[in-house]
Amino acid sequence: MDGFDMMDSGTEGPTVTIRKADSTRADFVLSNVDLAFANSIRRIILAEVPTLAIDLVEVINNSSVLPDELLSHRLGLIPLESSNIDEKMLYTRDCDCDGYCERCSVVLTLVAKCTGDRNVTVYARDLAVAAGAQLGNPVITDEAQKGSIICKLRKGQELNLKCIAKKGIAKEHAKWQPCAAVAFEYDPHNKLKHVDYWYETDAKAEWPASANAGWEEPPQENEPFDYNAVPNKFYIDVETVGSLQPDEILRQGIKYLQEKLATVIAGVQKTAGEGAAAATGADVGGMDDGYGGARSPDMGDANGYGRNFNDGYVTPYGGAGGAGAGAQTPFGGYGGGGYSNGWP
Amino acid sequence: MAVTESAKSSHHHHSAQDEAFSKLLEPVYQGKKLTDPISTAKDKWALLPAFLKVKGLVKQHLDSFNYFCDVELKQIIKANEMVVSEVDPNFFLRYVDIRVGLPERQDSDSDADITPNECRLRDMTYAAPVFVDIQYVRGKAVIARNGVCIGRLPIMLRSNKCVLTNKSEQDMALLKECPLDPGGYFIINGTEKVILVQEQLSKNRIIVEADTKKQIVQASVTSSTHERKSNTYVLSKKGAIYLRHNSVSEDVPIVLVLKALGIQSDHEILLMVAGTDSVYQDTFSVNFEECSKLGVFTQQQALDYFGARVRTSRKILTTRKSYAHEALEALATIVLAHVPVKNLNFRPKALYIAVMTRRILMAMANPQLVDDRDYVGNKRLELAGQLLSLLFEDLFKRFNGELKMNIDKILKKPNRTEEFDAFNILTGHGHTITQGMNRAISTGNWSLKRFKMERAGVTHVLSRLSYISALGMMTRISSQFEKTRKVSGPRALQPSQFGMLCPSDTPEGEACGLVKNLALMTHITTDDDEEHVIRLAMVLGAEDVLTTSGQELYAPGAYVIFMNGTPFGITRYPARFLTRFRKMRRMGKISEFVSIFINHHQSGVHIATDGGRICRPLIIVENKKSKVTRRHIKSLKAGKLSFEDFLKKGLVEYVDVNEENDAHIAIYEHEISASTTHLEIEPFTILGAVAGLIPFPHHNQSPRNTYQCAMGKQAIGAIAYNQFLRIDTLLYLMVYPQQPMVKTRTIELIKYDKLPAGQNAVVAVMSYSGYDIEDALVLNKSSVDRGFGRCQVLRKYVTTLKKHPNQTMDRIGDRKSDEDGNPIKKHRIIEGDGLAAVGERIEQGESYILKQVPTHTANNPAEGPQNRLGDYKDAAMNYKLADPAYIDKVMISCSESEQTIIKVLTRQTRRPELGDKFSSRHGQKGVCGIIVQQEDMPFNDFGTCPDIIMNPHGFPSRMTVGKMIELLAGKAGVLSGNLQYGTAFGGSKVQDMSEILISYGFNYSGKDFVTSGITGESLQAYIFFGPIYYQKLKHMVQDKMHSRARGPRAVLTRQPTEGRSRDGGLRLGEMERDCLIAYGASQLLLERLMLSSDVHEIDLCEKCGLMGYSSWCTTCESSKFVTRMKIPYAAKLLLQELLSMNVLARIVLEDEFPNKLQ
Repeated sequence: MDGFDMMDSGTEGPTVTIRKADSTRADFVLSNVDLAFANSIRRIILAEVPTLAIDLVEVINNSSVLPDELLSHRLGLIPLESSNIDEKMLYTRDCDCDGYCERCSVVLTLVAKCTGDRNVTVYARDLAVAAGAQLGNPVITDEAQKGSIICKLRKGQELNLKCIAKKGIAKEHAKWQPCAAVAFEYDPHNKLKHVDYWYETDAKAEWPASANAGWEEPPQENEPFDYNAVPNKFYIDVETVGSLQPDEILRQGIKYLQEKLATVIAGVQKTAGEGAAAATGADVGGMDDGYGGARSPDMGDANGYGRNFNDGYVTPYGGAGGAGAGAQTPFGGYGGGGYSNGWP
Repeated sequence: MAVTESAKSSHHHHSAQDEAFSKLLEPVYQGKKLTDPISTAKDKWALLPAFLKVKGLVKQHLDSFNYFCDVELKQIIKANEMVVSEVDPNFFLRYVDIRVGLPERQDSDSDADITPNECRLRDMTYAAPVFVDIQYVRGKAVIARNGVCIGRLPIMLRSNKCVLTNKSEQDMALLKECPLDPGGYFIINGTEKVILVQEQLSKNRIIVEADTKKQIVQASVTSSTHERKSNTYVLSKKGAIYLRHNSVSEDVPIVLVLKALGIQSDHEILLMVAGTDSVYQDTFSVNFEECSKLGVFTQQQALDYFGARVRTSRKILTTRKSYAHEALEALATIVLAHVPVKNLNFRPKALYIAVMTRRILMAMANPQLVDDRDYVGNKRLELAGQLLSLLFEDLFKRFNGELKMNIDKILKKPNRTEEFDAFNILTGHGHTITQGMNRAISTGNWSLKRFKMERAGVTHVLSRLSYISALGMMTRISSQFEKTRKVSGPRALQPSQFGMLCPSDTPEGEACGLVKNLALMTHITTDDDEEHVIRLAMVLGAEDVLTTSGQELYAPGAYVIFMNGTPFGITRYPARFLTRFRKMRRMGKISEFVSIFINHHQSGVHIATDGGRICRPLIIVENKKSKVTRRHIKSLKAGKLSFEDFLKKGLVEYVDVNEENDAHIAIYEHEISASTTHLEIEPFTILGAVAGLIPFPHHNQSPRNTYQCAMGKQAIGAIAYNQFLRIDTLLYLMVYPQQPMVKTRTIELIKYDKLPAGQNAVVAVMSYSGYDIEDALVLNKSSVDRGFGRCQVLRKYVTTLKKHPNQTMDRIGDRKSDEDGNPIKKHRIIEGDGLAAVGERIEQGESYILKQVPTHTANNPAEGPQNRLGDYKDAAMNYKLADPAYIDKVMISCSESEQTIIKVLTRQTRRPELGDKFSSRHGQKGVCGIIVQQEDMPFNDFGTCPDIIMNPHGFPSRMTVGKMIELLAGKAGVLSGNLQYGTAFGGSKVQDMSEILISYGFNYSGKDFVTSGITGESLQAYIFFGPIYYQKLKHMVQDKMHSRARGPRAVLTRQPTEGRSRDGGLRLGEMERDCLIAYGASQLLLERLMLSSDVHEIDLCEKCGLMGYSSWCTTCESSKFVTRMKIPYAAKLLLQELLSMNVLARIVLEDEFPNKLQ
C-alpha cells in the first residue's frame, strides 16, 4: 500500500468500496485516486484486456443462407470463456508455430444439419470446444442455456465449420472486448462545476439526480466554491460480456496499466542516456506502436476484418516479465494490495 | 377439378392477405397502441389499409393493364376486324374475338408454369400468347377457327394475367417471388421494365389561353380518336375570331365556319355564340362583317371557300373532289374529330365551335376567365395500358397489312397446288406483334406512324437499389414538358395537387417539378362508357342541347351539361341535377369514377368518364355528420366490411380534382361545419410512399423532405424476400437492417418495416475531433466491428456461348496447370468445369469463366488451310476490380434462343470506411470523417457510447426539427421498450416523450450528461443523445477511389485515358491551367500539358517546315536542315490531318535567344 503514497491524491491510499457484484457485473466506488488514473482503468478494461474470440473460420461446408464471411463475423462476436488467459495462452504472434497451435489457439467446431421439416436454429451452445482445451467454452447466460443465435437452417442445409479462437485485445476488434459497458461517474452533485447544466427554469428540478448522488453530501446552500477541489471519488459499474469475471477484468486492467507505465518509465530513462537496462531496449523500441494506438487490422493483409493476427496490432509488451521487471516500477507488487478485497 | 382448385387457392390467398392486414387494422399494432380513445374521428384511418388491401400500391398500373387486356384489345380488333383482298372480292378474314392467355414457356419441353423469376434469371420475356377467333373464306366456305395465336404480349407482373395473382405468401415463396414486391412492371429479356406514368394535357377539352402582350385569346382543343389526333384552335386576332387547324392552310373566319356547318342565319349564329348578352354581341358583331367582306352568305359559298383551303394529303390519288365535298369531309372527320358527325348532322360540331367562340368572348370581356394549363384537373395521366393499346393497334394494323399483302400475293397466282388457307399465312407470321411489343418496351421508343408519335424514354429499367427505389419508380409520373425550358409554371407546386400528388417527392435539378409522384391514396381512372351516363342524365331531367336555340342555351339560370367536354344537354336546375346525379353514383347506378361538377363561371355542368383522371376516396358528410360511423369502422376491423362495401353503401366516394372544387372537405371530424360535404380519411395521405418514410415531416423545412425523398432511394437495405435468389447486375444489401425505432403509419402500410434500409444508431450531437466538419460523421469503431453499416455488394458477370454461322460454337475450356500439375495462378479458383468455384475468393486478374471462341466464325469456304475448323482461342473472363470478392453463385442455363448463358455472381462484404456516405431520414447526409475507438468516445452515465457523433452545426441552418423529435421519440421508445410513431400530422407527442424520459430518470429535453472518453472529465455541456435511424447510401469510396501514376493511353491521341474504369489520368483542366498561367509556372505547365501527357519527338526540316523521319526530310530530300523537337502528339496529329485535307501547315522555327553566343 505504501507505493500509493506517491500519488497526488492525498495521504490516504486508494479505496475501493464494492456496492454490488456478481459474475457479470461489478459496481464499486473508487476513491482517493485522481481522474486520470480512474479513466485509464476504464479505458484499459474496455480496450486492452485480452480475451479469447474466434478469429479464423475454416469453412468445410456452409449451405445456409448466410455467406461465409457473415457467419464468421457472427461467430467472432460470441463471447468465449477466457479466464486466466494470460497464463494459459500466448498471442499467436508470440508463438513459435506457423499458423496456430494449441498453445496459442483453441479450436471449436460447429457441425449442424437440418434433416427434419422444421427449421433448425443453431445456437452458441452448439459450438464444441476441442477436448483438453482449458478455455474457450461459449458463454451462455440465458435461462434456456442456448446462447446467442448463430444461424437458422432449413431442411437439407448444413454447417460444418472449424473455428480457431485466438487471444486478442479490443483495440484490434470489438469481439475481444471483455466488457459491454463501463459506467463512470464522479461528482454527482456537480460541486466541481465541470458541467454547465442546461435548464429552462430550474436545473435542480429538470435534471434528475444521479443514482450515485446518495453517496455524497449534497452541496450546502451558499457553500463557497472550492476551486482547488479535484475529483477523487469515482462510481464505476463494469458490465462484462461473460468471457471474464469482473474482478479479473479489473485485475488484468491494473496489470496492463502498470506495464504501460513501466514502458514509459523505461523509455524515459533510456532517452535520459542512463541506459538503465539494456535488456529492455528491444521492447522499448516497440513503444511507438503503443502510443500510436491500434493499427488498422487490415494493414498489410488485404483479407479484411483483421483475420490475420500476425499483421495486426502489436503491443509492445511482450511478456509481463521483461519490461516490467527491468524498469522497476514503483507499483511492482500489486498482488498484495487492497484491490482484491471483497471480491466474490 | 381445376375450378375447385383455383377457387380454393384464391380463398387461401385472401386468408393470408387478411392476416397481414388485419394486424394493421388492430388498434394495437406490434405492441404499439395507436390512438387511445376510440372514436370515429381517430379511427377512420383504418379505411386506408382497407383501401390499399383492395388496390395495392401500384393499382394504377395493374388496373390500366387489366383494362387493356380485357376491354381495349377487344375494341381494337373491333375497329380493325376485316382483312379483305384486293384480288379476290369474295375473300375476307374477320376477327371475332381476342383474348390473352396465361404466360407460358416457349421451349415447351416442360409444361410447368413459367415464373417471373425464371424469366429474370434466364433472360427471357415474361409474355403470354394472344389468341384470336377468326372467320374467313376458304374456297367457297366460311370457316371459323378459334384460339389462333397471333403473337405474344408481355405480361405485367401481378396483373390478372400473371401467374402471381391471388397467390398466398406460401405460394409466392414456391414461385421464388417476393410477396411484398408491388408488381406493375414487365420482364423483357430478363430485365425489369417499367412504363412510367405520363402526364399530359387532357384530350378533347377546351383550353382557353390569353396572350396579353399580343392581344390574342385562343381556345384550343386536342382531338384524339382512334384514327387521328389533331389540334383545333379558335382564336381572336385584332378583335376578329378565326378557326385554325393544321389541315386548313389559313385562318378561316369563325362565322364562315359556322355557315359551312349549316348555321346560315346570322341571327342564329349570334345567339348561338353570344346569347342575348349585349356585351358579347357587340364584341362578336365584327365577325359578320369579316364574313360578308369575303362575299360568303350561304352554306355552299362557305363550303367552297373552306374547301379551297383544305390541305389534302397527296397520297390518295383518287379523283379530285369538288371543294364543297372536300370541305364537308374535312369538317366531318378532321376538324374537331372527336365530335361525332352522324348522317351529316353538323349541329353538334357547330355547337361545339360556338361554345369555343363564346369562351373566347368571355375571356376577352374578362381576362380572368382563362384556363390554367398546370391545373391538375386539366391533366390526364397516361398509363401502361393506354400506351400499350396505342402500340398494339399500330402493330395490329401493320400485321393485318402484311397479312393482306401475303394473301394477295397468293391469290394473284392463277394456279395453286392446294386450296388456299389463310390460316397458314396467319400463323406463319406472328413475329410482327411479338417483336414490336418487345422492342418498344425494351428500348422505350414508342414510334407510331399513325399519330406521328415519336417518344423515347417511355420505359425505364426498374431500379432495384432498394425496396423504396423500386416502389418510388412505380408511383412516378413524368411530364411531357421539355426539361430544358426555363418555365416555372409546370414545375411549381399546384394547390390542386393536394392529396393527389406528393408535395415532397420530386427530384432536384433539371427535372424538378416535372417528375412527380402519386400520393398514397390515389386512383387513376380508366375509360368508362359515355352512353350509359348520358342516358342517365336525360332521365334526371337534362334536355337535349341540339334542340335548343342559343337564346335558351345562354338564358340566365340555364346550365349546359358537358360530357367529357362536349355539350349534350341543358338544365335549368343544375344544383338539383348535380345532387341527383351524385346520389345515383353513390347508389352504384353508374361507375364510382364518373365525376360531375358545376362551373358557375361558364354556367356548365361537367361530367367526366374518361380515363387518366386522378381521384381519391373521401368520406361523405351529410347533415354535419360523417356517414362513416364507429359501427362501420368496427365491422371493418372485424372483417365484415371491405372498402368496396363502403363505396357501395355510399359512405365513401371517389372525388377527382375537378369535383374537389365543388366539395368542402374537413380534415378532422370536429371541423365539420354546415357546408362540409366530405371528410378526409387521413391527412398524411397527401404524401407519397417515399415521403411517408420521414418521421415528423411536418416539423421539417420542406426542402429537407424533398432531399430525403431522393436519398431514401439510394439507401442500402433489404430489397425483397427473394433477394438472394436474384442475379442482378448490381445489388446492394445491408447485412443487419433494422426497422426504425420511430415508424410512421406509411412505413407499416408499404411494409418498409419488413424490408428496411437502415439501422437505429445512437447519435450524440456534439463536436468531436475536428474530423466532423462539413457534415462529416464520427463513427464508433466498436460499432463498426459489431456490424454497424455493414453491407454486401453483389455483382453479376454474364456471358453467352454463341452459335456461329459456320456450325461452330463457343465453349468452356479447361484450366491450365504448371509443371507440378497445379493450376496456374490465374486459374486458381477454376474447377473442373472451367468455371470458378462457389465460395472462392477472386482477386484482380483471375479468371472465372474460361470461355473459348472459335478462331473462325464466318461461314466462308474460301479460307486458307491454316484456319482449320475446330481451332479455338481463349476469351476467358477475368475479374477486373482491384478489391477482391467471393464467388456467390454460378448459374448455367439457356435462353429462349437456345444459347447457353452463364451468370457468375460475386459478393463483397464491406464494413464502413472513411468516406462512406450516410444519411438520416431528414435529408441530412454526411460522409464518415473518422472512425474512433470506443474508449475514446464520449459516454453517458450508463457507459453508453454513441455509434455516430454528428456535428451540431447541421441543425440551425437545416431546421430539421423532425430529426430532433425523432431522437426524442426514439430515446423514449428505447427506454420504454416499444416503437414510437412519427406519422405526418400526427405521431407521438413531444410532451408524452418527455414524460417517458423523465420517468426513466432522464432529462426531458433528450440531453444527457456525458463524460469524455479521452480524459474522463465530464463535458461542460449537456449533449443531445439518442437513437436516430441512419441509412447507408450506395456511394462508397471503394467504388470511387482512384489514382494513377502511369497507365494506359488513348490510341488516337496518345494522351492518358479518361475515367476510373479505364485507369485514367486526372485532368489538369482549363481553370487549373489558367491558374498556372497567371502564376507564371511555365515549366510546370509544359510538364503537365506535354511531358506528362502526349509528348512526341518529331524530325522537322527547318527549311520547308515539314516533318520528316530518321533525320531525313522527304520533301527536301536532304537531311541538312532536319532538327529534332518535342511537340504534343495531338499537335502532330493536327498537322497530319490538315495535310490529309490538302492544307499545308509549315512549322517555322526561330531562335529564342538570337544574340546568345553559341
